[in-house]
Amino acid sequence: MAKNLSGDLQVASANRLSDGVVVWLNDAGEWTTRLDLAAVAREGRAGEILLQRARAEAFSVIDPFLVAVIEEEGGVIEPLSLREKIRASGLTFDAIAAEAVRYA
Amino acid sequence: MPLYNEAGGLPATYVALSFADWRQRLDWPAVALANTDPVEDLAPHVGRLRLIVLDFPKFSDGRAYSQARLLRGRLGYRGELRATGGVLQDQVAFMLRCGFDSFESDQKGFGEALARARTLFSIVYQPTEDGRAPASLLRLKRRNVMASKR
Amino acid sequence: MPDTHFYRYDEYDRTLVAERVDQFRDQVRRRLAGELTEEQFKPLRLTNGLYLQLHAYMLRIAIPYGTLSSRQLRKLAEISRKYDRGYGHFTTRQNLQLNWIKLEDAPDALAALAEVDMHALQTSGNCIRNVTADHFAGAAADEIEDPRIWAEIVRQWSTLHPEFTFLPRKFKIAITGSPNDRAAVRVHDIGLRLWRNAAGEVGFEVIVGGGLGRTPMIGKTLRAFLPKNELLAYLEATLRVYNRYGRRDNLYKARIKILVHEVGVEKMRADVEAEYAEIRDGLLGLSDETVEAIARQFAPPHLPPRSSLVAAVEALRLEDRDFALWLKSNVAPHRVGGHAIVTASLKPAGAPPGDASAVQMEGMADIADAFSHGELRVSHEQNLIFPHVAIEDLPAVYAALGRLGFAEANVGKITDIIACPGLDYCALANARSIPVAQRISNHFADLARQHDIGDLKIKISGCINACGHHHVGHIGILGVDKNGVELYQLSLGGDVDFGKTALGTILGPAVTADKVVEAVDALVATYLDARIPGERFVDTHRRIGAQPFKERVYALV
Repeated sequence: MAKNLSGDLQVASANRLSDGVVVWLNDAGEWTTRLDLAAVAREGRAGEILLQRARAEAFSVIDPFLVAVIEEEGGVIEPLSLREKIRASGLTFDAIAAEAVRYA
Repeated sequence: MPLYNEAGGLPATYVALSFADWRQRLDWPAVALANTDPVEDLAPHVGRLRLIVLDFPKFSDGRAYSQARLLRGRLGYRGELRATGGVLQDQVAFMLRCGFDSFESDQKGFGEALARARTLFSIVYQPTEDGRAPASLLRLKRRNVMASKR
Repeated sequence: MPDTHFYRYDEYDRTLVAERVDQFRDQVRRRLAGELTEEQFKPLRLTNGLYLQLHAYMLRIAIPYGTLSSRQLRKLAEISRKYDRGYGHFTTRQNLQLNWIKLEDAPDALAALAEVDMHALQTSGNCIRNVTADHFAGAAADEIEDPRIWAEIVRQWSTLHPEFTFLPRKFKIAITGSPNDRAAVRVHDIGLRLWRNAAGEVGFEVIVGGGLGRTPMIGKTLRAFLPKNELLAYLEATLRVYNRYGRRDNLYKARIKILVHEVGVEKMRADVEAEYAEIRDGLLGLSDETVEAIARQFAPPHLPPRSSLVAAVEALRLEDRDFALWLKSNVAPHRVGGHAIVTASLKPAGAPPGDASAVQMEGMADIADAFSHGELRVSHEQNLIFPHVAIEDLPAVYAALGRLGFAEANVGKITDIIACPGLDYCALANARSIPVAQRISNHFADLARQHDIGDLKIKISGCINACGHHHVGHIGILGVDKNGVELYQLSLGGDVDFGKTALGTILGPAVTADKVVEAVDALVATYLDARIPGERFVDTHRRIGAQPFKERVYALV
């Protein structure tokens, strides 16, 4: 079972300005498309600092914000809300392919 | 805030009174209206007024566009019509069409954008206070020319 | 290339759209260079149709009055391949949404659109949105006058209108020219209904203040009969009153329906009429010549009357049950004998409602060229329509649609579901819509059963903004979020038919996602048990009330 091992975990996320792609801030202060590389704030104060840092790096992204996450055993980060799960992992159904004539 | 004036009206330092204050001094030539002030009440006085300032509390609050058109179109106001507040270059083409001719803006590059704004769109669809012929009128004229050639 | 039978851009229209693309290209450049903040840029991109959604930008392309040529549809397919992921989503407002657009590509995509006289202007933002019209316009047997002539006139007047680009909130106009309203005019900010008065003149009933969303309201009649040529002056007067006095202090109270509700329709009418009296003799009056010049472009294709009884069609009807059902549900009467209006269902079993791949779009364009004078329509029910098909061609059209997966005989039936994109795409949504639609669609896939159930409109929205029109669904489904769990609120009794327009009533507590199909099944079972012959679901509900439905649903879930 997923459990929250260390209090209120948060990552900073945004959409990239040039193409809208979902990104997270990593430890080096760069935006990455990989949630598993995101910098994790492990308590409230650290969250504020992370958000400030994200805002300072916001030139190439749109409106950074904090996302509540949990840490699964093995250190895998997973957003708490369905919205953020979908942002992280994409559509929950298969979109029709460009060359398809039938949805399947 | 820098003033960009196409009207050659009053000096930029001239104080525009609030509508309430101006009503106490109807001979004063400059008034600043809030979006909620009734522009229609200016009707008997527009001949004397030389500066009317209209406010954009935010650039996305468009009430002053209607006020401007009423002042120009309905009341026949000919003096300087100044936009203040959220005045940004990407809205200036709309402001020109509604009859504004001076602008207070602290946006970088506003002056250059203002110079370009009149040529941004060579076609318009609506008749407004800038007097430009809308596309429907151009079409009508063209059809009449073609008909007269026949 | 067949001639088009609707408005073609002239040099003026083309110039304006091209200049607008240039302007947006410069705005995008300044945004990427950091010269514009997101707050400043957002309304600029929105009025050019560009949203930011969960995973990417979305481009909402206007299909004015829902009319498309085959050439335009092919270009949409090409744009979706080149700048997106090769598919698009037809919406309830006769737009096409591409879900994976890059900001840096958007100006090029718009320039490509302009090549076929299309744009994405004012498909978002607090301005006058894409004007919608009856999707059967110009073909319907019951039509008084083609509403698209007026929709085009309104399109031009509203495009880059300098006074009305920063309204309190968005503004949607719909026009119908038939007594059977297929444009839902009573649930728009302004609905226009062409009708013929006792003197035999055709004019508009002007309806104001309808809308769905957070505060659903049925529009009220502002003017019972407006002479047609005064339309723009009357619209300008109404918009001016709204722009000046509409609320701007609260986003949720900013639509014109709230203004009308708060001041009352009598005061609204007095204000509009006073403003209108000032401008009615001004430059906005439409000359007959101007209207006729536009009307000529909507002249219908020459359709020689043919026999309505075609042996091959009759033979196939008898031998192929699905074709027979398709004729019943997807084929509507045309005003010219021997012809029909064909609706291609973009709702095959289990598919996301309204989605089409690039190949499907191209296939539809081919069918339009071969059988419908190169013309298609987009309906607010998220289907595509071939407006001018000869009855003798119906078997061929049916077969061609079958090859594209769009021959489902379900138009107006329980699987012809309207659904918004929901939480899978949309930044505003609280819950998913498409997966719910898919499960219902799969559950009721059997065509014979669907036809037995009869006309039943399910409409699903993923949030209170009601893009899926749930308020006017016979069964409305609204996704809500409760402590991070998706729940679905059911409502019954909504309707958009003219004269019967009604908002649905909430049935009871919301149900969990895994119970939605069971709940809908229970609603249907209640209807099937209680109906008397000839009664539709919504009629039975009106007759017997919500209680029997409620009991059966909540006994289950």
